[in-house]
Amino acid sequence: MPDSDLEIRQAVYRYLAENGRSPALEEMCDIVGQPPQEIQDAYQRLRARRLLVPSADGRSIRMAPPFSGVETQHRVYVGERQYYGNCAWDAFGVIAALGGHGRVESRCEATGEPLILSLTPSGPNDSSWRFHVVVPAAQWWNDIVFT
Amino acid sequence: MMLFFRSEESLNDWCEKRAYPRRPSATLPQLWKMGLAWYADRLSPTARRPNPDEIRGIFSDIGLSDPFWDPRADYLA
Repeated sequence: MPDSDLEIRQAVYRYLAENGRSPALEEMCDIVGQPPQEIQDAYQRLRARRLLVPSADGRSIRMAPPFSGVETQHRVYVGERQYYGNCAWDAFGVIAALGGHGRVESRCEATGEPLILSLTPSGPNDSSWRFHVVVPAAQWWNDIVFT
Repeated sequence: MMLFFRSEESLNDWCEKRAYPRRPSATLPQLWKMGLAWYADRLSPTARRPNPDEIRGIFSDIGLSDPFWDPRADYLA
């Protein structure tokens, strides 16, 4: 991976971790000192390497797993900041990426019952709650947003 | 479509009503281990996605050994 792509990837992740939202293209230009087209081209190369997913217009970040650049039903709170996970797995993943302490607020997809769970590095206690994936692992990146 | 469900029964009902296939599920302690394995170092400059062999090993280590979790499996069920 070109060093500039690695720098852009790191800048995206740092921004999401510090702000809980996707950087705008103009913000990325200021942060990494590159023109918009260079950054958008890098986004596409990083997408091809399955490292992040730009928005449809290529100007922001839809997914930098585990962080979501758009609101989802999987809210995560770490310290004073709020984040969104792309999915149930990523909701836990945001907390794992940010040190292991935080709170997940989501729901049962079948009943709508809220799931509010405080996590520490030792993980949650066992319960009747389950995690389910529709798409087999071998096909996850065929349509990662659906997955 | 990576989602939480209150119970196995809720999951079964949802799959049936939506006509989605019922896949192997994981517990929340297993999901936490998945989160750690995938993402604990994601903010590091050297972070990378696990390769397929590593992915299979991660799932197997936490008790998810069904071919559904194998990124190289020709899973058609």
